[in-house]
Amino acid sequence: MKFSLAVYSAPHSSQSAASALRFARALLAEGHELHRVFFYCDGVHNGSALAAPPQDEPDLLGAWQALQAEHGLDLVVCIAAAQRRGVLSESEARRLERPAANLAEGFELAGLGQLADAVAQSDRLVTFGG
Amino acid sequence: MAKRFLALCRQAPYGNALAREGLEAVLAASALEQVPDLLFCGDGVFQLLPEQSPAGIEQKSLQRNLQALPVFGIETAYVCERSLAQRGLDLGMLASGGPELRPVSDTGKLIAGYHSVLNF
Amino acid sequence: MSLHIVSKSPFSSTALADCLAAFSEGDALLLIEDGVYALSGRMSESPAVRPVYCLESDARARGLEIPGAVEAIDDARWVALCTEHNPIVSWFK
Repeated sequence: MKFSLAVYSAPHSSQSAASALRFARALLAEGHELHRVFFYCDGVHNGSALAAPPQDEPDLLGAWQALQAEHGLDLVVCIAAAQRRGVLSESEARRLERPAANLAEGFELAGLGQLADAVAQSDRLVTFGG
Repeated sequence: MAKRFLALCRQAPYGNALAREGLEAVLAASALEQVPDLLFCGDGVFQLLPEQSPAGIEQKSLQRNLQALPVFGIETAYVCERSLAQRGLDLGMLASGGPELRPVSDTGKLIAGYHSVLNF
Repeated sequence: MSLHIVSKSPFSSTALADCLAAFSEGDALLLIEDGVYALSGRMSESPAVRPVYCLESDARARGLEIPGAVEAIDDARWVALCTEHNPIVSWFK
């Protein structure tokens, strides 16, 4: 079955982003397809390359990147929500004249249409918020 | 046939960003001709109050987005009757000029009729 | 029918109450994260719908007993529940 996930919560603030990662791992382990993970609202912070949690705490960014590399996941960060919150690719940082870019490898910025598209293309949409 | 989906809006405006970002997602989907239905439930019904004037808190009015919905093909929106009653509101007290508001008593039955739900 | 996923404590949020008001015959309720506090103490008879599932890891993490009327599940079963139900409604605030 084809799943997509919508993630609205920042990593390391609430449990929800970690739950999304767990659910993604579990569905892939069960042989399902993960069509897209769409990071929206505060969820865009999951795509920040600058997160540096202490070594004895879970590394959510590294875990998403490892899952992306293994399964070729489509990890999409909403561009409008990301601009507001300061998650920028190299080209966006240049275009908006900001001093640095921080979009992590394995993630891409795209428009809200990708969320509607994920709904249309998937058998199941699961939202992780709060 | 396109899969039917419902945007379930449960957040009051201004206090957190989800009400606004939810409506933005609805408008973006509609612009791509994937028009969701809308259900306002819980504190989400507060989005529909008339005469919101958020200039004093330096925010953009959410009502402009709501009024734009019919332009994007969303002619009607569902409103949870129970949520209104809990908050001392009725349909007549809500803003006009946006989509036609249709009261729903059995939200569970409504929700179960959709392929997907976007939660905001 | 719908799978309702509640992730907030019923003592701090209306998520569970709103969910139960939108619960239909044939739906299922899954408690995750702080949603498992619906099982706290002697409240374990509620919520008054069936079936109720809870993520065992979230309940154990919080030191909660899982009453017999509630089915404790692992992540694989969580995925299976999502394949068995549609749509999936998340109540997270």
